[in-house]
Amino acid sequence: MDWILDFYNYRVVAQFIPEFQRGLLSTAGISAVSLVIALVVGTLSAIMSLSARPWLRNISGAYIASIRSTPLLIQIYVIYFALPALPILGRRLDEWEGGILALGLNAGAFMSEIIRAGIESVERGQIEGAKSVGMNYVQRMRYIVLPQGIARVLPPLLGQTAVLIKDSSLVSFIGVYELFGAGLTLLNERLMPNEAFLTVAGCYLLIYYGMFLLSNRVQRKLGGAYA
Amino acid sequence: MLEVFKSTLPFLVHGLWITFQISLITIISGSFLGFVVGLVRAERIPVLSPVLGGYIHVLRGTPFLVHLYFVYFMLPATGVSWLQLEAFPAAVIALSLYTSTYVAEIVRAAIEAVAPGQSEAARSVGMTAVQNLWHIVLPQAVKLMIPPMGGIYVIIIKGTSIVSVIGISELVRAGEHAAQRHPSELMLIYGMVALMYFVYCYPVLRLAKWAENKIGRIQTEH
Repeated sequence: MDWILDFYNYRVVAQFIPEFQRGLLSTAGISAVSLVIALVVGTLSAIMSLSARPWLRNISGAYIASIRSTPLLIQIYVIYFALPALPILGRRLDEWEGGILALGLNAGAFMSEIIRAGIESVERGQIEGAKSVGMNYVQRMRYIVLPQGIARVLPPLLGQTAVLIKDSSLVSFIGVYELFGAGLTLLNERLMPNEAFLTVAGCYLLIYYGMFLLSNRVQRKLGGAYA
Repeated sequence: MLEVFKSTLPFLVHGLWITFQISLITIISGSFLGFVVGLVRAERIPVLSPVLGGYIHVLRGTPFLVHLYFVYFMLPATGVSWLQLEAFPAAVIALSLYTSTYVAEIVRAAIEAVAPGQSEAARSVGMTAVQNLWHIVLPQAVKLMIPPMGGIYVIIIKGTSIVSVIGISELVRAGEHAAQRHPSELMLIYGMVALMYFVYCYPVLRLAKWAENKIGRIQTEH
């Protein structure tokens, strides 16, 4: 059994279980808050991109183009290092707020395109029907278009969420403690790369597997309604 | 501000040059590797196909940062001499592995998008499986692969930003050095870095969009 201990000393990993637990929880929390930001920003941007007013379409287009054409790491740096004090807060963003905001804005651009495809897939008749019963624009969006449109694109949205969870490892660059940071702690204290990164990889794979199962379930559930 | 702009620009341009080199090497090696993996997956070769399916899932399920540390820190720890990689080859290898999973899915989807009647007709006139693949399926499939490859190239370019962490002086690293020299001009410096990535990536994305409109798009799973 010695060769296992040589390659992967699980006893050392066991000593670091509290660190990995804290890291996992932190990754989950960061991802959850970023996901909410991404969904809100993504939905707004998707609605704007389908607007009849050119300036709204342009804002959404510029947002998506600038996020898609620059690396997430640089977006995190710009928001965390370069953004001056915000008048609303009266101070600069700390590493948690900056990291979460950057992750949310980044995922929001990709989700905007997914949600836009979902909105566009809703039949014209649905909107005409809603108009004919006297619903205004906001009501049509809120009760008719968005529920159907977003339900149809739930699987790709879940896929993008899996990407968001992986991407959250990058906030370790600005000193946020999460799953990858837990691995770095083990590496720095014990100089054991195998134990550090195999454990981190295993944790991410568990999350990925969970998302995979969830996505399959959702697809099966929706299969009957919108094949 | 203008002074800082003038003094940092040459460093950032040099960083962009390194980013360009890494991304170019990686798109070639990653595409080659991904093509082989995708071919095996599409042809459903026994044993190899499920194994490579697992390879794709494992790489897709973990962040690129983990792959990078795996190649740069874990492989040297095995003690095998040719795995004692310098930073640059380690970065290129990690990025190529990461790229190959995306390319493999595109290659597989493109091959599967060629109408089955094409292969059936080819086999019925007596072509072997290899002849069918080489003369009938691949020429049609390769065309379908072109538009999504633009998106892959942009993913690689953005991925190169992460290899700054193992000390490669690409664009982000150059920006970090400039930021240390001029801590009061962070907005300018990181703005310039972001703009350079934009100038590199945006035309590629537009080109991919244009190609997609011309050639059509294939469905890939994510």
